[in-house]
Amino acid sequence: MSLVCLGINHTTAPVEVRERFAFAPHELRLALQEVRDLEAIDETVILSTCNRVEIYAKAKGPESAFSALSDYLARHFKLEKIDDVDFYHLVGEEAARHLFRVASGLDSMVLGETEIFGQVKKAYSESHQAGVTSRVLNKLFQHSFQIAKLVRTNTHITRGSTSVGSVAVDLAGKIFGDLSGCQVMIVGAGEMSRTTAKSLLSRGAHSIIVSNRSYDKALELAQEMDGRAVTFDQWESAIREVDIIITSTSAPHTIMHRDMIGGAMKKRRGRPLFLIDIAVPRDVDANVNDLDSVYLYDIDALQKIADDAREEREKQIAICDQVISEFIEERGIGVLQPESGLKPEKEKAPEFPGKPSKPLTNP
Amino acid sequence: MDKVLLTFSTLCFLGGFIYAVLILRSEKHQPSLANLAVIALGFFLQSWALFIRGELHGRCPITNFWEILVFFCWCMVLLYLLLGRAFRLSLLGVFTSPIVFIVQTLATLGLWMGNDVPKPKAHVDPWFELHASVSFLAYGAFALACVAGCMYLVQDRLLKEHHLNTLFYNLPPIQNLSMAIFRLIAIGVVLLTVGMAAAFLMEERPTMVHTGLSFLVWIAYLALAVVHLTRGLGSKKLAGSAVAAFLLPLITLLIFASYKQPQ
Repeated sequence: MSLVCLGINHTTAPVEVRERFAFAPHELRLALQEVRDLEAIDETVILSTCNRVEIYAKAKGPESAFSALSDYLARHFKLEKIDDVDFYHLVGEEAARHLFRVASGLDSMVLGETEIFGQVKKAYSESHQAGVTSRVLNKLFQHSFQIAKLVRTNTHITRGSTSVGSVAVDLAGKIFGDLSGCQVMIVGAGEMSRTTAKSLLSRGAHSIIVSNRSYDKALELAQEMDGRAVTFDQWESAIREVDIIITSTSAPHTIMHRDMIGGAMKKRRGRPLFLIDIAVPRDVDANVNDLDSVYLYDIDALQKIADDAREEREKQIAICDQVISEFIEERGIGVLQPESGLKPEKEKAPEFPGKPSKPLTNP
Repeated sequence: MDKVLLTFSTLCFLGGFIYAVLILRSEKHQPSLANLAVIALGFFLQSWALFIRGELHGRCPITNFWEILVFFCWCMVLLYLLLGRAFRLSLLGVFTSPIVFIVQTLATLGLWMGNDVPKPKAHVDPWFELHASVSFLAYGAFALACVAGCMYLVQDRLLKEHHLNTLFYNLPPIQNLSMAIFRLIAIGVVLLTVGMAAAFLMEERPTMVHTGLSFLVWIAYLALAVVHLTRGLGSKKLAGSAVAAFLLPLITLLIFASYKQPQ
């Protein structure tokens, strides 16, 4: 008997291919039953997210399992045949290790992201409730949750933020602590400022003021975010009220100067001001950062922090893999023990064209 | 027995010191319960030792320079344990441990090497006891404000320079630090006010030097708190002032301590 994983993800196939194999949430229960009913399959878990579709299964043998699963996918998604080039075929310890890496966020598009952990948990929970898992996959997934927590706790794979928006939110947290008392102002209603402001709101910032040269656009964005719009000549007077300013106007020169911000700071009674300047050319004079309690970050500074965090996370991959290997070595993986019916040593995956049947690693 | 307890207590703070170095190097940014437990154990041993010495003296154990240092450390740790978590500044302990370790090591060595034999005082003035103990607590609050001030200045610099290193992730939000500095100063001022009021009720009136220095400390911190509250003194200036102003209670403490030594 074998543990197998047949999968497709963002590293093996483009979105136009992946989307053809995405299981809709409402059809997952039925799909689980259908896979479980395949003769070659004893237990199964289907993990279907925007970046991956993976079927984990305890099967009678790898070759028959992969063949049955491929046929099933073709049938289910009404395709003539699935192209094996887009899929990876993992067996035994490789399949287990792959799951552990996925649950730990090591195989994610945004390295180290934690959302996948919840998605793996949900996928397992659905399968468990559908009654299509038993001893082998139950143990395997419990191990994956343990390992994911271990990796998160003992490495820095989740440290820092890897996107400009989340860096801005993290910085706001390090300046204000609790964002629930913070008011945000957007000057220049661009897409990036909208995304950043939304992230801040989701972290508790309580209101938004939007100012834009086109008042209609400001009004539209303010309504979308449940905030209020002010005309472009009013934003200056609003500085004293707000804690975070996201600016992204298309002005050819700076619009916020040291004197202006310095004057507003006197009325803020020492409360910090966080300026996020994502405009190019910049909207805020660089020397504003010299003012007490004013923290200015332009797009390059934010991007550099995000890049550094990404680099730091990439450095952590080897450490995370070490944690996974040590876990497998020290604690053993129940599903690979002889009494579970699975061979402890690596089993050879059947040959498929295209992608190697190795655990997928980030570069 | 009291010296042995103090030695063990100092070793606990050495543990806290080592933890402080490790946490800042190993990049583990969760507050550790183990560190809190070590500090709490150190505090328990400290309290026990001070209780024994207090029993021997028949009064608050601040009869010589070394005892004053130990009592000052005890006040700092007490305030950290009471306020550190409430102010969401668990990391304050990481910075407090090294200071307490260094000061208490000196004090413990001094006590081991000295040959003072505590003798119960014939008559204890409760106002003096209240004055001394509450004033030391106030100084403990000022010491913690100084520590929080240092943390603020470091975090401010890291934020200004866009240098998001391990220390940055370990330090608390700058706004929390600013609030903690103000609250610690306010607590210190209230305690010192009580201490000074008690001094006026003592049987033996305090000397001019004593009164003058205490008043200087009191007015300096009161001015800081009032200016911050009413004139919106910037957080960075408040932090810098909390660090600089601590020189005053420190000098005062040393003068008082050397004043006491002949007794």
